Amino acid sequence: MTKGSALPRVKSPLCSTRDIFLQALQALRDNRLRTILSILGITVGIAAVMSVATVSAGGRYLIFTELETFGLKSIWIYRDTAEKDPRKAIRSGSGIENGDYEAVRDARSWAINKISPVVSGRGEVFLVRQGNKYSNAQISGVSADYLSINNDTLQKGRFLRDEDITRNRPVAIIGRDVQKDLFGKDVDPVGQSIRISGKNVTVIGLLNQKNRDFLSSIGSGTNANSRILLPYTFLQQLLGTREIKILQAETSGLANTDAAVFLIKDILRRRHGERFSYKAETMAQYITTTENILRGVTLIGIIAASVSLFVGGMGIMNIMSTSVVERTREIGIRKALGASRHDILAQFLFEAMLITLLGGVLGLVLGVAAGYGLSAATGMPLTPSWPSVLIALTVSIFVGVVSGYYPAFRAASLKPVEALRYE
Amino acid sequence: MIRMENIRKHYLLGEVTLPILKGVSLHIPSSEFVAIMGPSGSGKSTLLNIIGCLDAANEGTYHLDTIAVTDLVDDELSTLRRSKLGFVFQMFNLIPRISALRNVELPLVYAGVAPQERTKRALRALEMVELADRAGHVPAQLSGGQQQRVAIARALVNEPAVIIADEPTGSLDSVVAREIMDLFTGLHSQGKTIIMVTHEEDIAGYAQRILRLRDGRLERDDKR
Repeated sequence: MTKGSALPRVKSPLCSTRDIFLQALQALRDNRLRTILSILGITVGIAAVMSVATVSAGGRYLIFTELETFGLKSIWIYRDTAEKDPRKAIRSGSGIENGDYEAVRDARSWAINKISPVVSGRGEVFLVRQGNKYSNAQISGVSADYLSINNDTLQKGRFLRDEDITRNRPVAIIGRDVQKDLFGKDVDPVGQSIRISGKNVTVIGLLNQKNRDFLSSIGSGTNANSRILLPYTFLQQLLGTREIKILQAETSGLANTDAAVFLIKDILRRRHGERFSYKAETMAQYITTTENILRGVTLIGIIAASVSLFVGGMGIMNIMSTSVVERTREIGIRKALGASRHDILAQFLFEAMLITLLGGVLGLVLGVAAGYGLSAATGMPLTPSWPSVLIALTVSIFVGVVSGYYPAFRAASLKPVEALRYE
Repeated sequence: MIRMENIRKHYLLGEVTLPILKGVSLHIPSSEFVAIMGPSGSGKSTLLNIIGCLDAANEGTYHLDTIAVTDLVDDELSTLRRSKLGFVFQMFNLIPRISALRNVELPLVYAGVAPQERTKRALRALEMVELADRAGHVPAQLSGGQQQRVAIARALVNEPAVIIADEPTGSLDSVVAREIMDLFTGLHSQGKTIIMVTHEEDIAGYAQRILRLRDGRLERDDKR
């Protein structure tokens, strides 16, 4: 007698995936408490990972929104006052004058988009007054490019024009806090007159509110809403000086920062010889530093949260293993009734994956809810990113497969006769 | 139908080899009702498990129809079980938390039968054991005799050629046992091959042929 053709030797999973899936679902429903407990393990893990991802994304958004108030491509060049060379240190002055600004501006370098001088007093107290109201404002003399370099926008009126500068016009653009102090929150200041150190100055524009709460809270960044911006020429006239404190420029891109700094320093050196040393502050540095800090914080958070996900996965492996032992006899029955290894393996894998997927979805909901809760409480915009949602779901299914595979493999490998004998 | 030549089976207990079957040869033609008897430890259950493709022999050849069972691998044995064999166990072996109907449907699930067809065939099988009205009950809501009838319906639902029954009345009282044996007799008259292990002479009396095992060998083969 030879082997007949009645049985194909190929392994063919006759049973549809849907049916196996339903068997798995049934088994989970039959052991509700066990299922819920193992789902919770994964829920906590995914919720933790999601919260960390959401909070760090929110934090990043917050910090970058505030960094933007300085202009992300900004650089500042000023005299290095920590001069060690005594022959240089003895010299007074800011080391930058109008001619330097004009030279840089007229050089029209590819690395520099815009440039504005920033003139300010050396500690003089300006008396800013309107009627009998006073304001403690920071006064800066700037050029027309200052507005866009600093990502400032106007709520009302207009900004400085070139003729305001060339004609030393007594005009001012004020911040929201200055408006509040001098006129009141809802009073239109444009066209009104204020007094700065005894001179009448006409308000021509009102700056939009700018938020630097976070940066101020860690001690960097001044209040952007208490600024009064004047034509730098007019402020120089008030101060009786020809000096510029800082040159602020917008580079043509973050990658061109070093070139722009080098260029400006080079022009200054050519015009002043070795009389002064100059220092540059760049947003590029701050952005790099910020990115490094954020990456470190996020990484630590993700690692910490992943530990709980790992523990959840171990819990599933443990529970699934117990479940295989408990259901040894059932597995034997199923095999006797014609279930293949594949059928049993698939059922237990489905069970594990369903647990982790459900846990993952629940964790997502919890994590996102926590994000929105924090968002409402802190005002930070903590919305989950779609990629992190996708990653969380993928990770939870992956945890299911990994932690479910060993128990499922053991179940599938059971010999029917031994499994049936199991009490 | 079933042809075995010199089947040997032993178990390893640590270092010791424990022989169970010491060369059993037998032939069971189609549509025969066979009882296997013997004292405990004689190897009757092991022989039944090998016939039922739940266990594999260490030596010898076994042909079921034209199929050389001893050559098959695990999954092929599964295919064979679901296409040719139906099982009835002493402890009924129903899956506890699912209804009688779902239990009876299970072999059809693994055979890849479509859901509606499954329910239809499972109900028909339950009708054959007169339990169609209990289709929605879970095993715990059924008496022992009813559970065994559900198990028989499950064994029949695939329309197998051979019914393998391992002490099918072992957990039932004599009245219920008689009902179950009447069911088997009915199935036999419809042309099913039935191979049953029992240690009760009166139960074995329902069969046409009694194989007696002793100490791993076929001792007597009584045909009536």
